Amino acid sequence: MRRGDYLIKRVLFALATVFVAITINFFLFRVLPGDAVRSLARVPRATASLRHSLEVQFGLDRPKWEQYLIYLRELLHGNMGISFTNQQPVWDNLREDLANTIPMVTLGTFVAIVIGILTGVFSAWRRGTRMDQVSTNLAIAFYSFPTQWLALVLLIYLSAWFPSHGRTDDFLIDPTWWEHTADVLRHMFLPSLTVALTLYGEYTLIVRSAMLETLGEDYVLTARAKGLSQRRIVVRHAFRNALLPTTTLIALSLGYIVAGVILVETVFSWPGIGNAVYQAVTERDYPMLQGAFLVLTVSVVFFNFLADLLYFRLDPRITE
Amino acid sequence: MGVRADMSDELLDVEGVPAVGESGNWFLRVLRESRQAQIGLAVLLLFVILAFLAPWIEPYDVHTRVGPIYAPPSIHHPFGLDDGGIDMLSLLIQGGRISMIVGFAATLVAMVIGGGIGLVAGYFGGWADGVLMRITDYFIVIPDLPLAIIVAAVWGASLTHLIFVIALLLWTTTARIVRAQVKSVRERVYVKRSRSLGASDLRIIFRHVLPQIGPLLMANTVLTVAVAIFDETALAFLGLGDPTSITWGNIIEFAFLRTAISSGAWWAVIPAGLCVALMIMACFWLGQAIEDALNPRLKVAYVSPRVFRLLPPMTQGPR
Amino acid sequence: MTLLEVRDLHVWFDLSGSRQLHAVQGVSLDVDAGERVGLVGESGCGKSTTILAILGLLPSSASVAGEVRLEGASILSPEEEVARPHRWRDIAMVFQGAMNALNPVKTVEAQIVEPMELHGTAEGAAARKRAGELLEMVGIAPSAGARFPHEFSGGMRQRAALAMALACDPKVLLADEPTTALDVMVQAQILELLERLARDLGLSLILVTHDLPVVAQVCERAAVMYAGEIVEEGAMERLFHSPRHPYTRMLFAATPDLYGDEDVLSIPGSPPRLDRGIVGCPFRSRCDRAFDRCERERPVLRWVEGGGSAACHLNDLPAGASAGST
Repeated sequence: MRRGDYLIKRVLFALATVFVAITINFFLFRVLPGDAVRSLARVPRATASLRHSLEVQFGLDRPKWEQYLIYLRELLHGNMGISFTNQQPVWDNLREDLANTIPMVTLGTFVAIVIGILTGVFSAWRRGTRMDQVSTNLAIAFYSFPTQWLALVLLIYLSAWFPSHGRTDDFLIDPTWWEHTADVLRHMFLPSLTVALTLYGEYTLIVRSAMLETLGEDYVLTARAKGLSQRRIVVRHAFRNALLPTTTLIALSLGYIVAGVILVETVFSWPGIGNAVYQAVTERDYPMLQGAFLVLTVSVVFFNFLADLLYFRLDPRITE
Repeated sequence: MGVRADMSDELLDVEGVPAVGESGNWFLRVLRESRQAQIGLAVLLLFVILAFLAPWIEPYDVHTRVGPIYAPPSIHHPFGLDDGGIDMLSLLIQGGRISMIVGFAATLVAMVIGGGIGLVAGYFGGWADGVLMRITDYFIVIPDLPLAIIVAAVWGASLTHLIFVIALLLWTTTARIVRAQVKSVRERVYVKRSRSLGASDLRIIFRHVLPQIGPLLMANTVLTVAVAIFDETALAFLGLGDPTSITWGNIIEFAFLRTAISSGAWWAVIPAGLCVALMIMACFWLGQAIEDALNPRLKVAYVSPRVFRLLPPMTQGPR
Repeated sequence: MTLLEVRDLHVWFDLSGSRQLHAVQGVSLDVDAGERVGLVGESGCGKSTTILAILGLLPSSASVAGEVRLEGASILSPEEEVARPHRWRDIAMVFQGAMNALNPVKTVEAQIVEPMELHGTAEGAAARKRAGELLEMVGIAPSAGARFPHEFSGGMRQRAALAMALACDPKVLLADEPTTALDVMVQAQILELLERLARDLGLSLILVTHDLPVVAQVCERAAVMYAGEIVEEGAMERLFHSPRHPYTRMLFAATPDLYGDEDVLSIPGSPPRLDRGIVGCPFRSRCDRAFDRCERERPVLRWVEGGGSAACHLNDLPAGASAGST
């Protein structure tokens, strides 16, 4: 398949998906009847002039299809409405939340990938042995634990050593940059650890499966016939080839990371986008809910697209 | 012999391909050969039976207080009491029942929706296929939990709503699998033969296509149940389940909301999660075993920790 | 001087339920320097397993007995370090279906250079230069080395595999069905190349195939395998003109399928199961001259007139006597 064509196809698909998500958003919150549907303008405790300007902005007196177009237009300007809870623009809130979530999730995911790769390769190499069985079943177990439950378990047993709420210590007065960072890291430990433990299991299974597939290929036999040592074959040949399906599958698992983020941040009150979703649900802050959904969807679409690009780079079979 | 209404079917049978898909014994074979499948099925059946017998085997009524708040495990109450003084074991059993009902029901709905879509897309192909698969692709990419959250938030909390919301997340894998299977079965000669004899589409679908896709669909079903139960706990935790019912997910949520942690009441949290995990693991083992049996990519590993065995020398050569 | 000796090789594979498949049943083979020997038989007769055993490439489900000697030194051992130094340097292999024998994510040149650097026969620029020379020797432009295997046609990939096999100047080349799955025209070219290279470079060659014309074209000598053992062995000429085993005779007489990648030998019946002990001659159910001794006693390889050996009771009968007179 030609490179250029492939890329364009993927970009179009990404854009289309985002568009579908936007439409779902609109559809759910404006068109469906139900006690949950409120208009964006009914911000509690807002001034009359604020409500009025919102009504005008979003054309809430116009027919639905016009509202849809206005909604799209406003989105392109970054206007997602005003949060019911703190009367701030939704986008401003989300920006801050994202900034908190990203480091925590990145740390956890990175650790999960590293552990997953190590255990997956090891299990595949030692396939059938006791070690393999233990490792694989352990991975399945962690994969099966409900995320919020695992978070609670860690909370119960590790809260003596690590902070269990929030991102910073409110009692720390005027911290230096170093103190502040250390503080944040300490708060980040439990949430990131939970993310890592929840994710690694799936990665182990993915890597193991890809490696087993590779280790059965004829070129591995050729490599042995050439006199390469087993270790070298596993690392230099098999693993390199197993990276292809692995990257795709890991990227595809990003949807699960989002789910995990919501649950983990809720348990540890980590002020990120996951927690924002939880708060929004509890407080019926619909603009925030819609906004968060959109942001999360766009992130996942974006990472899927990145994974496509990565796969592209790694597989020489997709060329002109 | 004369022309009969179902003559087309007879011809198909004669061609050597049985009208009912693959030997019905494939499941038993999988069970016999895979320890994983045995354990998975056993655990699964155990949970199902317990759920079924729930009203009769609960030691205490789940609405009656039988002791102090967060009482620790004891002989009378092996899993302690919750924040309302209610026996945890009874809660767990009752919770298991509802959780599994939700899980299986959601799976059923997902199978129907996904199966229907996959069937139509795979069988009719062309334009319908394109559109349906495009829609499926979108749903696959859009992250599950956020979608479920906004739907549940708008729709309101109840068990029925919960079931449908979860089903909304699950149908895509089924749709894909069914479509792929239907497509491949459709390509086979005997179905084409049947068409030329005028058998109706519906008849072909039910008599020939459906039985062939059975095994793979079963693996998918089992795995879907696992995801359904997982999703239920997640949604319940975020307050989007039905607060009036007792599910494993709700148990964990209540423990979180009602300060079980700070009270040190680990028994209000840990057993429920373990039950969910066990159930999911059982589904996973069984589903994986079936899938592995169906995909005979039994590749020899050319690299392994052990090499061949060398035996002591024997004598003799050509004389 | 005998370069490679295989002595009484037995290979068993574990099957489910503690049964075993006796895939190779007492095979012995000698190859001299510069000699080209064919190993012929139907699929499943154990010929591929035999040559994999020579390099010690059998999986963990295998049990092996016997000896393999290279220039007098024993190289058959589960200790990787015994066989590994000899792999590719002394004994190299070309596999069936080079399509998959080449790593799809590495360039052809890189794969040829790899064993050179591994065994220390060349490095860096010198190795790449040699890779180019090897490619040229097999009829591929050296610049094509920078390409990936999927960019080559089937025939070209097989040539590349051959170039790769010769990278460390081996003494013995094992070729397992090198031309199966190639079309007929390409087959002929590859075989001609193989024979020419072996001759020019003084290589010993063991050519494994089910296809007789292939062996006839390339080899001076051949061993015929059936049901895990060698049933006849000798110079090509003698095998053709006076075969001493009914199977050999039938093989030469059978009409080869022009497009065959699967043997379509017109010998009725099928080989015996190897997961059970064999009583009597394994070929008797398909033999047109079997007699009562064949039911009871398994024949052993004996020297025959004209050179070589064969395992058939018919050779024990006095000249001129027929089977019925025993």
